[in-house]
Amino acid sequence: MTGWEQVYHIGPAVTLLGGAGVVLLADMILPRGRAPFALLTLLVLALAAGWAIWHANTGTTGPSFDGAVVTDRFALFFIFLFIAATAAVTIASTDWVKKLDLSAEYYALLLVAAGSMSLLVQGNDLILIFVALETTALVQYVLVGLTRRDRSAEAGIKYLISGAVAAGLMIYGFAFLFGTTGATSLDGIASFVQAGHEEARLPLTLGFVLVAAGFGFKMALVPFHGWAPDVYQGGPTPIISFLSVASKAGGFAIALRLFYTGLGGSETFISEDWAMMFGVLAVASMLFGNIAALVQTDLRRLLGYSSIAQAGNIAIGLAAVSTGSTLGPSGVMFFLATYVATNLGAFFAVIAISQRIGSYEIGDYAGLIRRSPMLAAILMLCLLSLTGIPPTAGFIAKIYIFNSAVQAGEQWLIVLVAVAVVNTAVSAYYYLRLARTMIVDDAKDEMTFRPTLSMQVVLVFAAVTVIFVGLVPAPLISAAQRAAETLQIQ
Amino acid sequence: MFLPDIPELMIWAIYFAPMVSFAVIACGITIPRMGFQARHASRLTITAIGLSWILALWALDTSIGLDGESAGFAPHEWLRLFDFEVDFGVQLDSLSALMMFVVTSVSLLVQVYSTGYMHGDGGYARYFMLMSLFTMSMLGLVMASSLLQLFIHWELVGLTSYLLVGFWFHRPAAAAAAKKAFIVTRFGDFFFMIALVLIWTKTGGIFDITEINALAAQHQLSDAVLVGFVLGVFAGAAGKSAQFPLHFWLPDAMEGPTPVSSLIHSATMVAAGVYLLARFFPTVEAAPGEVTTTIAYIGAFTAILAASMGIVANDIKRVLAYSTISQLGYMVMAIGLGGFVAAIFHLFTHAFFKSLLFQGSGSVNHATNTFDMRRMGGLRTAMPLTFATFIIGSLSLSGVFPLAGFWSKDELLLDAWHHDKFLWMVGTIVAFMTAFYMFRVIFLTFFGEYRGGEEVDVGHDVAGPPHESPRSMTVPMIILTVPSVLFGLFALNGFGGFIEGTLPEEIRHFKFHMDSVVLASSTLAAFGGIGAAAAVYLARTPKPEQLGRAAGPFYTFAAGKYYVDEIAEGGIVRVVLHRFLGRWIAAFDRVVVDGIVNGTAVGARRIGDIARRLETGHLQAYTSMSMLGVVVVIIVIFVLSGNVLER
Repeated sequence: MTGWEQVYHIGPAVTLLGGAGVVLLADMILPRGRAPFALLTLLVLALAAGWAIWHANTGTTGPSFDGAVVTDRFALFFIFLFIAATAAVTIASTDWVKKLDLSAEYYALLLVAAGSMSLLVQGNDLILIFVALETTALVQYVLVGLTRRDRSAEAGIKYLISGAVAAGLMIYGFAFLFGTTGATSLDGIASFVQAGHEEARLPLTLGFVLVAAGFGFKMALVPFHGWAPDVYQGGPTPIISFLSVASKAGGFAIALRLFYTGLGGSETFISEDWAMMFGVLAVASMLFGNIAALVQTDLRRLLGYSSIAQAGNIAIGLAAVSTGSTLGPSGVMFFLATYVATNLGAFFAVIAISQRIGSYEIGDYAGLIRRSPMLAAILMLCLLSLTGIPPTAGFIAKIYIFNSAVQAGEQWLIVLVAVAVVNTAVSAYYYLRLARTMIVDDAKDEMTFRPTLSMQVVLVFAAVTVIFVGLVPAPLISAAQRAAETLQIQ
Repeated sequence: MFLPDIPELMIWAIYFAPMVSFAVIACGITIPRMGFQARHASRLTITAIGLSWILALWALDTSIGLDGESAGFAPHEWLRLFDFEVDFGVQLDSLSALMMFVVTSVSLLVQVYSTGYMHGDGGYARYFMLMSLFTMSMLGLVMASSLLQLFIHWELVGLTSYLLVGFWFHRPAAAAAAKKAFIVTRFGDFFFMIALVLIWTKTGGIFDITEINALAAQHQLSDAVLVGFVLGVFAGAAGKSAQFPLHFWLPDAMEGPTPVSSLIHSATMVAAGVYLLARFFPTVEAAPGEVTTTIAYIGAFTAILAASMGIVANDIKRVLAYSTISQLGYMVMAIGLGGFVAAIFHLFTHAFFKSLLFQGSGSVNHATNTFDMRRMGGLRTAMPLTFATFIIGSLSLSGVFPLAGFWSKDELLLDAWHHDKFLWMVGTIVAFMTAFYMFRVIFLTFFGEYRGGEEVDVGHDVAGPPHESPRSMTVPMIILTVPSVLFGLFALNGFGGFIEGTLPEEIRHFKFHMDSVVLASSTLAAFGGIGAAAAVYLARTPKPEQLGRAAGPFYTFAAGKYYVDEIAEGGIVRVVLHRFLGRWIAAFDRVVVDGIVNGTAVGARRIGDIARRLETGHLQAYTSMSMLGVVVVIIVIFVLSGNVLER
């Protein structure tokens, strides 16, 4: 394979990273404050999406760069997800960015984040995975601290330091994996594990738990979640909305890749161990996230704890590995796709509301349905979807992922689902309490308002997606299942 | 027959047209920037339902061409989670084609009528939004090929009915009536849901209605399952179709706008129960005889009970509501007696003339601002069109030859005559009572002196002497007289054979014939009823008051609606539920539910406070928590996998 053919394989990532450079160049060349950076960003995203579609249509698959990179439907599924999330955040934050004198940097950083995450999901080698993951993380530290105001800077520093610790744990884990198996490529690790070296169980376990700590930081799983509430509250909300979906999706994507391909899927002596680990993390995250969310009065913190609890729900799909089918991983993918639409919808609605009322306190959302029916309705829809009430996408996602664990047929997994169902009831309390505040309580201020046009576009798009996937889930399910099939070891 | 066969996509379009109208109006209401105006809502609704109506005609034409047999569209997979599979599809056969035609025609005319009746109402757009949603749900119900799909639309129909009955929610009576309608029908739905779960577990996940019917007909389901399933379905049907003892919500539902009553509570939703029984007719037939006999007797009892209440009610709409319950009782009785064709035929003709009568009552209300017949009178001259159409509807309902109601009622009584002479007698007495109360309404409303009307807040303002309603209201009424007069003649033209096309060959046994005894007695009953009403309310010999005194306790009982409401609310709800069950439930609630739901929620708040204290905002804490977490997870894994020492 020639060099260009190899670059062709990572085209979407290259486009996004190159696009970031173009945005920065445009900032230098064009007169200050005039350049249509948002449009340029969307153009780059469209190009990358086009390239990914081209890959999907021509069926481009297989390894490149000496097996460090792999192109498959699994990677493409997530690349689409990242591009969609980035595009939505780009459109939604156009008004917010105008107040910032760093708009070119902001868009360029978003593109770099999307590009490095696209590379991450194509990664098939520990070294590439580490580099891509850290590139993503670095960009996100900068983004969180972007406004350089007190709270934003504090959040950025907190995020940076806990992220650095997580990266340290992860590289330590990689070292264990490499030291035990003698390979950095996931295929190499897989063939070692499949050969059944049971004597290597302890170092392998140490390795994957440390790796999971690093990934768990991205996914915001307990006990690696510490940063989430503080950063959610302190960081600029548009950036947090991106972080809450894209970073989480990236963490789960690479966990799926490493644990399914690298640690040999469901067939090896070690798979029961790591399935159980994810089960423990799932229970801890759901319990902790939901219980802590109950007492929050700041909406950003509430969403932060809610995202921890949701990560727990998603991790059930990883714990359900012993089904031996694609049900678990496709459940994770389907859940993430719906979560992107739902959580972005909720976040954007909160941004649009709070920009007008100047508060993130839940009490200030009283009577919102009369002040801005559209925003309140969409926020409510997203809350219903987060709770998992039909006919929303969140309902199907929960059913799907619970079903994957039940199908596996092991007792501890059924206990896990029972815990998840009880947690859903608990989460209904705080999600629906917010909905109740918006509908029932009297507004303190009767002034009505509407979101800006760009915000309306993404909000309606998110709402339509939530409803559509709730009513017609089959296409997305089959896309996730086909993508998950390529995850099995070749 | 005349047109090429309708493609499946067009049948879906019948369903989606009102859905689009609903979605657009909903967006228009919530997004002010769209510049949506109220008048757009009615135009959009009428266009969408008009489109559905045209396509429904095409579907009916296709179905007639197929002799009523199923067009056999394959279902589509909606959701598949390994062995759990849910399919959605459309069923096109005589039954669904006929129902689509009825629903779209009545709905279309009611929408036109509503533009006049609801003119100037503050919730005009919301009204049409809900009407679109209702029409969509009702169409989804009748075209469903899977039980689950049917059930979802069944619930949607109930929900929209709730919203429309409570449309004027600022009036306490309307809000209470909406709640009552919802709770009582939900009570029946609860048993329907049990039937659904039962059939699901017993057949291993078969939801397809045709398959369930085939299984039942081939005796592949045990008697116990059949009895449970049929009774569950019947309970659901009894709730929706207001059969005793779940009938008492329908009169109260008259608090909704009159066009809503005309569409939902006469022609479509309340007929859904009968439709459901007809859909599962092969299964009902396969059930043990006691089950069908029970159904027939409950229907007959409902018919006569409601008719007696209709005789003494003073509210014109409530008389019509009792009449609807009574006629639905007829249909349920026919299903129980195996009279599939008679039940559907009566459903078909009844939909048109009852909708017409409700529109007539709305027209009268529009002029006088009251529904109380004691305050009406003499409207014959002021409202000639309303009078003429109301007379035609009443004659049809009373079963006077050769109007539509005559033919369908005759079929019903004929079935009773052949199967159970006692029920035939009951049916004939009900026919007499029907003619009596309908002409009581006519004489009280349209004859004699005008007794003043009343200023009531019904959402629009009318003052001065009564006058004829606007054309948007009278034209639909005039159009509805056509089916009320003529559609009975289909009896002579192979209606029975067509409608039986949906059934398997073995249980088709309809043959059109007449019986002179049945014919003579029912005609006698109809004219007898009219004559008696004329004697009492026109000639006033004997005077109605004397009659009421003579009837004594019966009159009091009937006027008190046999105290079913009181028994249901006071007795069952208050005594049984509050005092007896209530205590247990409250205890259960305190201990268990508080423990699980509120307990986890409120109790967890306390833990939440502790958890929040853990979130101190200190970086050192976060990072050491991560490290500690790794150690704990490693230990947990080894403990859980249970053999740390082995390795």
